[in-house]
Amino acid sequence: MKWASLVLSAALLAYPLLLPDPFYLDVGLSFLLVALSASAWNIVGGYAGQVSVGHGMFFGVGAYAPLLVFNLWGAPPVAGVPLGIIISLILAVGVGTPTFRLQGHYFSMATIAVAELIRILVGTWPLVGAAIGLQGPAVGRAWWDLTFRSELPYYYLFLAVLALLLLITQQVERSRFGYYLRAIKSGERAARSLGVPVQRTKLYALMLSAVFTSLAGSLYAIKTGFVDPESGFGLLISVQMVIIAALGGAGTLYGPLVGALVLIPLQTATNDWLGGGGTGLTYILYGGIIVLLARFEPGGLHELWYAVAPKLKRRLQRKERPHAA
Amino acid sequence: MTNHRVNRRSLLLTGAAAAASLATRVSPSLAADTVTVGVVEPLTGNAAAAGQAAKAALELAVDIINNPHPELGNLTLAAMAGLPNLGGAKLKLIFADHQGNPSLAQQLALRLITQDHVNALFGAYQSSCSFTATAVAERHGIPFMVGESAAANITGRGFKWVFRGTPIASDYARTYMRFVADMKKRGVKIDSIALVNENTDYGTSVADTVQEAAKKENVPVALRIPYSASTTDVSAQVLQLKEKNPDLVIFISYTADSILYIKTLRNLNYLPPMVLGDDSGFSDPSFIPAIADIGQGLMNRSAWAIGKPGSTTYKINEMYKAKTGRDLDDTSGRDMQSFFALADALNRAGSTDPEKIRVALTKTDLKPDQLMMGYEGVRFDQTGQNVLASTYLIQLKGKTYELVWPDNAATAKLDWPMKGWKQ
Amino acid sequence: MLLAQVIVGGLLLGAIYALFSAGLTLIWGMMNFINFAHGEFVMLGMYFALLTVLWVHGGPAVFTLAAALLLFLAGVVVYFALVRHVLRGPMLAQILSTFGLALLLRYTAFWIFSANVVSLPQTSLSGVVNLGGIFMPLPHLVAGLAAAALTLALHVLLTRTSIGSRLLAVAEDRRAAMLMGIRPDRMQAIAWGLAAGSAGLAGALMATAYPWSPSVGETFVLTAFVVVTLGGFGSVLGAMLAGLIIGIIQALSAFYLGAIYKDVVVYALFVALLWFRPQGLMGKA
Repeated sequence: MKWASLVLSAALLAYPLLLPDPFYLDVGLSFLLVALSASAWNIVGGYAGQVSVGHGMFFGVGAYAPLLVFNLWGAPPVAGVPLGIIISLILAVGVGTPTFRLQGHYFSMATIAVAELIRILVGTWPLVGAAIGLQGPAVGRAWWDLTFRSELPYYYLFLAVLALLLLITQQVERSRFGYYLRAIKSGERAARSLGVPVQRTKLYALMLSAVFTSLAGSLYAIKTGFVDPESGFGLLISVQMVIIAALGGAGTLYGPLVGALVLIPLQTATNDWLGGGGTGLTYILYGGIIVLLARFEPGGLHELWYAVAPKLKRRLQRKERPHAA
Repeated sequence: MTNHRVNRRSLLLTGAAAAASLATRVSPSLAADTVTVGVVEPLTGNAAAAGQAAKAALELAVDIINNPHPELGNLTLAAMAGLPNLGGAKLKLIFADHQGNPSLAQQLALRLITQDHVNALFGAYQSSCSFTATAVAERHGIPFMVGESAAANITGRGFKWVFRGTPIASDYARTYMRFVADMKKRGVKIDSIALVNENTDYGTSVADTVQEAAKKENVPVALRIPYSASTTDVSAQVLQLKEKNPDLVIFISYTADSILYIKTLRNLNYLPPMVLGDDSGFSDPSFIPAIADIGQGLMNRSAWAIGKPGSTTYKINEMYKAKTGRDLDDTSGRDMQSFFALADALNRAGSTDPEKIRVALTKTDLKPDQLMMGYEGVRFDQTGQNVLASTYLIQLKGKTYELVWPDNAATAKLDWPMKGWKQ
Repeated sequence: MLLAQVIVGGLLLGAIYALFSAGLTLIWGMMNFINFAHGEFVMLGMYFALLTVLWVHGGPAVFTLAAALLLFLAGVVVYFALVRHVLRGPMLAQILSTFGLALLLRYTAFWIFSANVVSLPQTSLSGVVNLGGIFMPLPHLVAGLAAAALTLALHVLLTRTSIGSRLLAVAEDRRAAMLMGIRPDRMQAIAWGLAAGSAGLAGALMATAYPWSPSVGETFVLTAFVVVTLGGFGSVLGAMLAGLIIGIIQALSAFYLGAIYKDVVVYALFVALLWFRPQGLMGKA
């Protein structure tokens, strides 16, 4: 555990030094952003097993808030981050309270419906840019606008937020709250009979998840300098979080990271090679890989490790033994 | 719990493999005799059809520039092979698919600039993607030609490196208002108009601009109907129109919805005096075959006219048709024209130095006979917008559109009202 | 008169919603499985109808049947190749597999047919019926009536025939059904065939009235989710009722509030319903 965290942190910290090229840095940014939003989703979707397919609503709110305060009052975009978090929390309570009384797919369906509802409404509301969307400062006025010419500052900013989220998730995992979540995931009725406050726990998980998803959205908007209904609230945004987390291993600390680590380079490389041809092969490949993984590795990629790890361990031990002797 | 056993090695391995796979991408050899232009277009996703058509049109433009085509008359750079001021250097396109995702458009612009070392950029169809991709070009000091994006403020953000060859919403609005005034002068009754627009950036920004212009010109807008283009049923909208019965209905629509509207007008037996399409869906090659028998006399905006056999535009269309099996549409035509303007600047710059290209772009002055589109020319103001871009109105007669307005360019007589399905 | 016209339009569209949602509710109710690729089945039905018309010049009866049969087969293949293996796995793997399948199908269609919008060539199914001032386009009328009839037929199949009772037995209790000599695998494959087949049929019927492109499925799947949840998971009759109601609500709200608000109204009602009657319209509490 400690080892994994250390090596991972070292690799992520060193990435910009190893590949300082702006394009690779930008790919690194995509990776961090996707890992961040999928990790945030993971709290409620993975640990608590409540599959939200509408997390785009929090991402979008988080993305709109900074650009909104900039466009309305000329405030630095960062000032909108708390606003995004507050609205996301209200949304989380509004969606969670009724649906968490129910079991099964109702929560999934409700989240899709609410996210779509917000996407359409935002697209017709002139104050928030309607269909055209909102832009950030084209050229930063000062450092507090956070419009950096280089991708490097963004990289470490994103990395810091991701580290914070993982740290919190790790604490949650070890806490009583974490046990509640796992109990709910493995059976709500049993959890309730053991005295777990099921509804409240699910709601808290959703709220924590919403805060960080909103934060991911804010970081996205500050870095991209633009958001419109589709790139904020689109179904694809919500779906991507599910795919990344499920692919790597939902309900595990590093699962979403593994998912992002596989999918982002894969997406980038296939779009790079095949995208210009315009035949849609990128998506055929992407869809095909997802299907195959779901078919053969339904628990997520991190489970591969448990198939390989014992053998590796044995081989390592064999190597190390003469050394130790 | 088992989750903390995620292994470091597999992480590293995947990461390394990923990095390697990215790093081994063959970067194009930048021989001195090629000039590369990076093109970001939506080749997949919801706007894929438009992106694909644009891709084919740009490939044709490059073919025209790189190979001698004396038969195309005065068209920019057609007669000779390559760019003469660069010693006959050939143009090369690198396409990238942004899938309609603004953040991906940003990343791809970055890739094209820093990895592929393109000399200029071109794109990006959706305004959202043009916003983000142009910002990257501006930061890196690489000229960006916006081929065809509607939102007004893509130019005019104080950017030095962004140019746009296409006419924009305000040009269209002006054309429509001049048309309405002209019709009234001829004694045609136009007491009110209606605007029906799809509700993404394109439809919204055009409809907003037209509505504003109509207000200024005292043309009553009886009805404005925004709708989602992915709809499967438009009867409610048509019934709303039927109730208000405006004299002119302007549709700002994509392809499937345009077809659906004309069919629904027929189905609900409501024929407005005139239907005017704002290009886009009405110019899609799928549109005419689907509605020709019920949409006779409907009008459309276009700066593109195939023209008489033997004309330059006719030949261009034949070449496009041989390549794709479809007629060239106005949207891709405007892309192609913007690209010719960029190529012209690359040639006049006589160098691949970005600053020289930018200066050449600001000095662009193309005359109508050098163009394939019906603009009055190409000249960029200090925001980078082409101020000589203009547009025609065309009318469906039989199975083709004929140019009917303005009078000085018209090749056929304007019929008012439209006949629709009533022969 | 105008109101009647609006309502008739909504009902005809709602009948189609009912038909393509019927398949979704069947496998949802039977296997507790959300199929995100259901809209792609509708899309494939549209293209199969087009190919039938282009290649064998089939009339409406031929191309709708062809689409239904081909999609039935596709459903069975999807079941054996994919669904069967993820059915009892984690729910996320199920979602993942059908997301992936949706992408795969959509972009395979994209690859083959390109992104261009196509419509069905004029068939014998054209013209408008004028019923006392209410206009009903023949394709919509036939499609709507056929969809309503077929949805009812599916309901009868499930509730009144032996194959239906065997299907429901598997849904109720897989192990008990096995003890009764029913092979759950075969029954579930049939359910997938029926689900995909009815989606394909709905697609072929819609193709007579609507132009489309490979991404059309996305529009349908969200509507189908709402219909299925409203109608109660697993209830074909519920889906029928919910489909018609949503058709009318969309038509009325598009006419009185504006076209962009029709989905807003549907989603808002849907969320409100989750508050007050979570078991759906026809579901048991």
